[in-house]
Amino acid sequence: MVIFGVLRSGLYSLAAVGLALSVGVIGIVNFAHGEFLMLGAFLGYWLFASYGVDPLLAIPAGAVGIFALGAAAYRSAIRRVLRAPELNQMLLTFGLSIFFQNLAIILWSGDPRVATVSYKAAAVSVGPLVVGLPQLVVFVLAMTLTLALYAVLGRTRIGKAMRAVAQNRLGASLVGIEVDRVYLLAFGVSTALAGMAGLMITLQLSVSPFMGLLYTLKAFAIIVIAGLGNINGVIYASLVLGLSEAFVEFYVPGGGGWAEGVFFLLILLVLILRPRGLFR
Amino acid sequence: MTSRVALRWVASAAVLAAAVAFPFWASRAEPYYLQIAINVVIFAVLALSWDLLARTGQLSLAHAAFYGLGAYTSALLTLRSGLPVPAGILLGGLLAVVVAGGLGILTLRLRGIYFAIATLAFSETLRVTTNQLRFTGAATGLVVPPLLGGGRVAQYLVILGILLLVIAISAFVNRSRWRYAVTAVRANDEVAATMGVNVVQVKVAAFMVSAFFAGITGAYYGHVFLFISPIEVYSLAVSVGALVAPIFGGLYTTAGPVIGAAVLRVGEEILRTTIRSGYLIIYGLILAVVILYMPRGLAGVWDALWRRRA
Repeated sequence: MVIFGVLRSGLYSLAAVGLALSVGVIGIVNFAHGEFLMLGAFLGYWLFASYGVDPLLAIPAGAVGIFALGAAAYRSAIRRVLRAPELNQMLLTFGLSIFFQNLAIILWSGDPRVATVSYKAAAVSVGPLVVGLPQLVVFVLAMTLTLALYAVLGRTRIGKAMRAVAQNRLGASLVGIEVDRVYLLAFGVSTALAGMAGLMITLQLSVSPFMGLLYTLKAFAIIVIAGLGNINGVIYASLVLGLSEAFVEFYVPGGGGWAEGVFFLLILLVLILRPRGLFR
Repeated sequence: MTSRVALRWVASAAVLAAAVAFPFWASRAEPYYLQIAINVVIFAVLALSWDLLARTGQLSLAHAAFYGLGAYTSALLTLRSGLPVPAGILLGGLLAVVVAGGLGILTLRLRGIYFAIATLAFSETLRVTTNQLRFTGAATGLVVPPLLGGGRVAQYLVILGILLLVIAISAFVNRSRWRYAVTAVRANDEVAATMGVNVVQVKVAAFMVSAFFAGITGAYYGHVFLFISPIEVYSLAVSVGALVAPIFGGLYTTAGPVIGAAVLRVGEEILRTTIRSGYLIIYGLILAVVILYMPRGLAGVWDALWRRRA
């Protein structure tokens, strides 16, 4: 059970860390985050079904594609509401979310689709444990990407620029950082991370236009548990969510259905008891 | 100026007369229109009651929660204990008020995005719970007894009456001293508190009134369309619909949400019959365009046109 929870939390981290980046650096709570994930998943499905490209190999192309889309969304819409009231920012991303979801319905219809890769049911034994191969691969990849983002933020010039802008927009612009470009980059990377998470989901689960909302909400749960804008807490918060879901699935009768509600309960509890998050 | 006021009264009276007369014509000529009209008025009640809370600066995604609570309370009471339908609807609204009071005290300290996420989480928790419990009919839903024996004209007049009640409350809030309290709370609740406004009380009161109307509307919906299920009444679409209409029509006004609701729902019906799947894409576009280019909605556009002529 613990293994299931841990493996799942890898994907959750990747899906949530992008949202944390957007909230932390730009201050935009992006309700359309899950839709970028959904579009990434559809891209993976489409490349697999039409050209036989393995979704894992499609990750670089998917990241570039979704980055471009995210950057375009930033340029055409998000940038205009940076100084607008929070309500307007939220509603705008809400609009984007509805737009992308229905665009996907029009393009690919609402039916769920499954990409069956040859190793879908393969399992490997790690010590005394047996785990699904796709799950393990996705976990390792997702964790690597999440940690890579941490390294970029911590070590490189652009990462430092992002952190500077996150702390103080005016101060950062005074020392010569082009804030608008940093925002563009941060938003693009944020959506690209979601897109990559989507491609990985193609390996394990079915793909449908409606999947985005669920991941937006789970990503919200994670960043709320971590504390809004706290990027470093995301991995721990994902573990909390992954483990508590697995726990409910295993120990509560009829647990599959109840597990859907776990993250909402977690959000409510954290917001009411410790609105600044558990990990700060 | 006085002629404009007189004009507004005449226009309002004409709209009201048309709204009351409409079902008597439609029930004979085109019953399908009556169905749409009921939908429009339901949507208008949801939109305007949502706006009542929004005036205090709180963006709620819990409208679906109260809508669903009302629907399920009334359905279960009338089915299991044989309560008359109107009493069930009223109790559905009252339960929503009680729950809103509790939830409000816990969550209305949260602002902006935190409150929105908390209320969304609350709605979805209710949906998942209802989906799992046996006595609520779980995921299959419930078949609900009809209101007033199923007579469409009478049903329409009931929801129209509810709408007039919300309009009256909304107009009262916007014209009385409450307006200053509510606006102060929205603009800056710390300053409002310093000026002697009881911020928590104002917000919780607004939340409860708002929830009452969502609750009775949900209950009404069940007894008119005769079937409810968790995925439908607790749907995010209810909360989103309730907030898109005021933004489209004009936030913090009485006419804005109602007109926004009417335009959107009729437009949606037309799109649904022409495009069929994915027609909701228009909602996404409208939201984005309105926020980017006409942040005060139709009411703002209307004001600008008046001013240009004057």
